[in-house]
Amino acid sequence: MTWATPGTGLIGLVILFALLLGGVPIGVSLGLVGIGGLVVALGFEAAIIKGGVVIVETLTRYELGTLPLFMLMAHLFFSANASRDLFDAAAKLMGHRRGGLAYASVAGCAGFGSINGSSLATAATIGLVALPEMRQRGYSDALATGTVAAGGTLGQMLPPSGALIVYGIIAEQSIGKLFTATLIPGISQMLFYCLVVWLLVRWKPSIAPVGERASWGERGRAMLRIADMLLLLGVVLGGIVLGWFSPSEASSIGTAGALLITAWRRRLTKEVLFRAFSETLRTSGLIFLVIIGALSFSIFISVTGITEAVGSGVTELGMGTIPTLLVVAAILLLLGSVLDGLALMLLTTPILLPVVEGVGMSPIWFGIFITRAMEIGFVHPPLGMNLYVIQGVAKDVPLGRIFRGVLPFLASDLVHLLLLILFPAMALWLPSMFGQ
Amino acid sequence: MNAARQAMTWVAGAALIAAALLNVLAVLGRHTGLPLKGAIEVIQLAVLIAGSLALIAATLAHSHARVHLLLDRLSDAPRDWAERVCTALSMLLYLLLLAGSVWLAVDLWDAQEVSELVGVPWRFMRLFLNLSLVVILILLARQLVERRQP
Repeated sequence: MTWATPGTGLIGLVILFALLLGGVPIGVSLGLVGIGGLVVALGFEAAIIKGGVVIVETLTRYELGTLPLFMLMAHLFFSANASRDLFDAAAKLMGHRRGGLAYASVAGCAGFGSINGSSLATAATIGLVALPEMRQRGYSDALATGTVAAGGTLGQMLPPSGALIVYGIIAEQSIGKLFTATLIPGISQMLFYCLVVWLLVRWKPSIAPVGERASWGERGRAMLRIADMLLLLGVVLGGIVLGWFSPSEASSIGTAGALLITAWRRRLTKEVLFRAFSETLRTSGLIFLVIIGALSFSIFISVTGITEAVGSGVTELGMGTIPTLLVVAAILLLLGSVLDGLALMLLTTPILLPVVEGVGMSPIWFGIFITRAMEIGFVHPPLGMNLYVIQGVAKDVPLGRIFRGVLPFLASDLVHLLLLILFPAMALWLPSMFGQ
Repeated sequence: MNAARQAMTWVAGAALIAAALLNVLAVLGRHTGLPLKGAIEVIQLAVLIAGSLALIAATLAHSHARVHLLLDRLSDAPRDWAERVCTALSMLLYLLLLAGSVWLAVDLWDAQEVSELVGVPWRFMRLFLNLSLVVILILLARQLVERRQP
């Protein structure tokens, strides 16, 4: 009797969900269900060897270097005071307008997100710089905290995004293409947040007082301080988009450039380098385990045939593309209430990707879509990790007020997600323009 | 322990920097008509070293991506038990991965597998990975029995 059936896959999914909710590390849950499931479906020897192949192949993948190298670049930039400089420059340019510091926070999050590719780190880092400044200038707590909590989610939507690198590896998609595809959704998300700030300050001007106008000299100096970083980021991202080099090579150029910039700013000490290495290793270690677990899990899922069963079930329903994608979005948002972003992506990709492909959407589009959906989970309760991060920075602001502040941005997120469904070209046009 | 941790961090960091510099040279070489042959193979080696040590670093730092929804609502004693169960499950996964990786290493040991262009000896790299997995298992075993801070 064979156990490689959709029923086994379903039981595996239920066990995985229980383990994840029970607090078992995500990589461990995925790996145990993956290899355990393969033992049931294929037998002990085949499952153990598959596990061995997965760990060896994962850790010798050339593309795997992309993740730690981009992280190292981010940690080096962090030591070089990138977050402060980025926010300062944006604040000098826009701070005199009503709500200017809120726009600056969004721009700072976008800038820092382009460096580090993590929502939590972006929210925490820009929050440390922007929140005291906004509160000191009389901005309402709700607007200040809501802007940074939502802005933090830009970290994963702008390249180099950690989530997109992980998705690229597990779904076997071009990371360069994903980075190019996320540019328009990422930039339009940023513009949506600016629109929300604009509407809020027009509706209630008292929540964001007008600040002093910086002189052109001050603006110039602030821009000069970030010119080296912007130039490097331009080369890194431009190089990927234009096909001059692969994302792995881009991460290497970024790291080498960040080393030079940190040294140029006289901040490259032994301690700084050690801290950057240490943080990079710790973070990449946990993500590597998650990738190893996710790959084992997806082998198990494909062996059981559950993806084909779900795919044909959806096809039989004959709902059509848009309704199917709306249902997929609803599932992702619902699961995003209880699972954190990475878990959500790794649990659902093996099941939902074939469904989405079945209704004619590309895996590149799905990568952007699932990242966008999981980012929404970062700002809505009960998980809403960015809300807790912001409360860690502004300890005297109650969580409820932070959530009220983020609500308008959350509404704009849902509209943005809907637009991504209705107009897939938002993600797919740019890669096709550059012949990727 | 601290000295070992520091040495590990420097070695992994050096591997990452070496991978980065080699990649930069490869890009420059490609665009100037002087391709650097075998760069990818050496970078794979650096990635394996950094990746294996990163798994150890994450274990040492108790750094796990996990869902905290229920765990954070437990009181001290049940939470301590839950943490120990998580550690035991982590050990089980690493044990399964080690078993598979050792199986492959033993099977391929005599094949003298080397990379195509620069001849990186893969059997020694597999050995390095397996030793790293053993270190992780030892660290997890220690975490399983050690007294936890309330």
